[in-house]
Amino acid sequence: MREAMTESADIAVEVVGLGKNYGAVTALKSVSFSIESGKYYALLGPSGGGKTTLLRLIGGFLRPSAGRVYLHGSDVSHLPPNRRPTSMVFQNYALFPHMTVERNVAYGLKLLRVPAGDIRDRVDRMLAMVGLDGYNRRMPHELSGGQQQRVQLARSLVLERDILLLDEPLASLDARLRKDMCLELKRIQEKVGITFIHVTHNQEEALTVADRIAIIADGELVEEGTARDVYETPDKRFTAEFIGDNNVLEGAVADVSDGRVALDIGFAKVEVPAPAAAVPTGGRAAFSIRSELLRIAGRGEVMGAAWQVVPAEYVEEVYLGLTVSHLVRLPDGTEAVARQMSGDGDGTRFEPGQEVAVGWPTDRARLHLA
Amino acid sequence: MYDDFASPWNIRLKWVYLLAVVFALLMPVFYTIGISFNQHGFGARIYEFTFDWYRVVLGDTLLVVSLKWTLYLALATIAATIPMALLSAKFYKRTRRKVAFVALMLSPLFVPADIMGSSLLVFFKNLAKGFAWLGGTLGVGWFDGWFDLGFLTAVIGQVIYTHPYAFIVILITMSRYRVQQTEAARACGATAWQAFWHVEFPQIRVGVFSSCAFVTILSFNEAVRTALLKGGFDTFSNMLVAQMLNIGMSGESYAMAGIMSIVSMLVIGSVIVYTLVRAERLERRARAMAEPVMSS
Repeated sequence: MREAMTESADIAVEVVGLGKNYGAVTALKSVSFSIESGKYYALLGPSGGGKTTLLRLIGGFLRPSAGRVYLHGSDVSHLPPNRRPTSMVFQNYALFPHMTVERNVAYGLKLLRVPAGDIRDRVDRMLAMVGLDGYNRRMPHELSGGQQQRVQLARSLVLERDILLLDEPLASLDARLRKDMCLELKRIQEKVGITFIHVTHNQEEALTVADRIAIIADGELVEEGTARDVYETPDKRFTAEFIGDNNVLEGAVADVSDGRVALDIGFAKVEVPAPAAAVPTGGRAAFSIRSELLRIAGRGEVMGAAWQVVPAEYVEEVYLGLTVSHLVRLPDGTEAVARQMSGDGDGTRFEPGQEVAVGWPTDRARLHLA
Repeated sequence: MYDDFASPWNIRLKWVYLLAVVFALLMPVFYTIGISFNQHGFGARIYEFTFDWYRVVLGDTLLVVSLKWTLYLALATIAATIPMALLSAKFYKRTRRKVAFVALMLSPLFVPADIMGSSLLVFFKNLAKGFAWLGGTLGVGWFDGWFDLGFLTAVIGQVIYTHPYAFIVILITMSRYRVQQTEAARACGATAWQAFWHVEFPQIRVGVFSSCAFVTILSFNEAVRTALLKGGFDTFSNMLVAQMLNIGMSGESYAMAGIMSIVSMLVIGSVIVYTLVRAERLERRARAMAEPVMSS
């Protein structure tokens, strides 16, 4: 099995057929993937999907029910966390409350019996790197949530391990701080150059920090790719529904020819670019189109030859600050969203109940067979 | 939590009721202590304050020896009970069948002291016979005296009695502890023991020390099980009960009761005060940590 996976010195993490059961409950079903050294990798998915279980299996906090974990080519499946080349940042409550910031950060170094002078230097350097210069004597409860997470980060990074695991590290922070910390994490990762594996259910967070993203749901690896891939060209329907603001329509495959799939969606026949995989005629399939690619126009208005156009009824406009969402209802009752930047457009306004046409560029739709 | 709209008199009345109950419960104890300091003992019309009865008690070799035995019993019980209670509390945190586990741990409390004592007595007698038979059958003397009534059987009886209390006290302290801290320590390279000793123990220390104090008090206060299981030595409680049954309450008996009551109240009072102060500190820390997280 392992031979099938990429054998390379640059692979920091490789999991093969990794699974975890809790009695009759399966938390993770035979997941396999690998992560290159020095990459920022995000495990993204809905709560309860198995991403934290996967991270904890990599970190050695759980014993796998099936499969193996390889770190830098070595099988560590049987090793406890303290014997793996990983360190971890937890969601919260993980600082030692009876120790000062300095002692928290120095803890791992003391276990390694690093000389006291070196410990002091490394702790100071790390605190400076996470922006907590001069906080050495503070107790954890004297810090804000963001500062506590920075201390956790310093405590992990000071050990100079090759792989850093981050379990929802920003989940307990307010929106503004989360945004700042995202950029901070990315900056630090680029500076230290080690592999970061970041678990989150927040797609914006994942898109901001990650070089590559794995979508985890229902205990399975749904899809994996670069941030741009999973956002712009999702392969699976779940990914399209989970990431970004996609409109997903379902229909029967009427014809496949010239790199196009003709899909009968009940009230119209639309064309979608054919995927690499074979598409059986007559079967069911779905396609997705991102809301920012959808355009609304008056009935009969021509959008262009390379556009797919369907009739709809205008429902309402929702102002969201940076963007404006236009809600329309398709003839089968499905609601679709067209999004545009506030202030963009030609100023045409539609009234609720008005008959309109909705269109999108043909080559930007994605067909999903699963 | 107080209801802001409640009449202040309701609150005052509740306090009066509480103090009255405590007073009624402790009255006989204070009365006994009062008599122990009276030169003329129980029932005298004159009250003359004295330490003489206490001097008599502390000058009586038999009583001092019984005090020593009680202390040894308490120390041995602490040595066995506290690690067991700690392990039980840790196991409780990991088990999914929490109700069944707690019921099992607390079950010794539901057996009356005399029933538990006599059951253990019969059990140890039979066990001793069994080992004697085994030694005889094998032709070796190794098993002679195993589980004959004595210090070991008394300690086992005390451990069974005190374990549920120690378990509960440690569990309460442990409930505040977040397991993520152990995981964080492991992620920093600590072994399971190092994570416990460096990170968890300092945070549950107060519960462990409270349990030690509690077990000591229980060892000094227990009479029935020890009387049945002790074999050839006497504890302070045993001496007091024997004296009361054989010659009635003397000035010396009041002083013995006084020593036990004062020491118990001092130890438990100190633990309560320390625990309250500590709880307040932890509460403040928890409140600080629970405050909404804002941008720094």
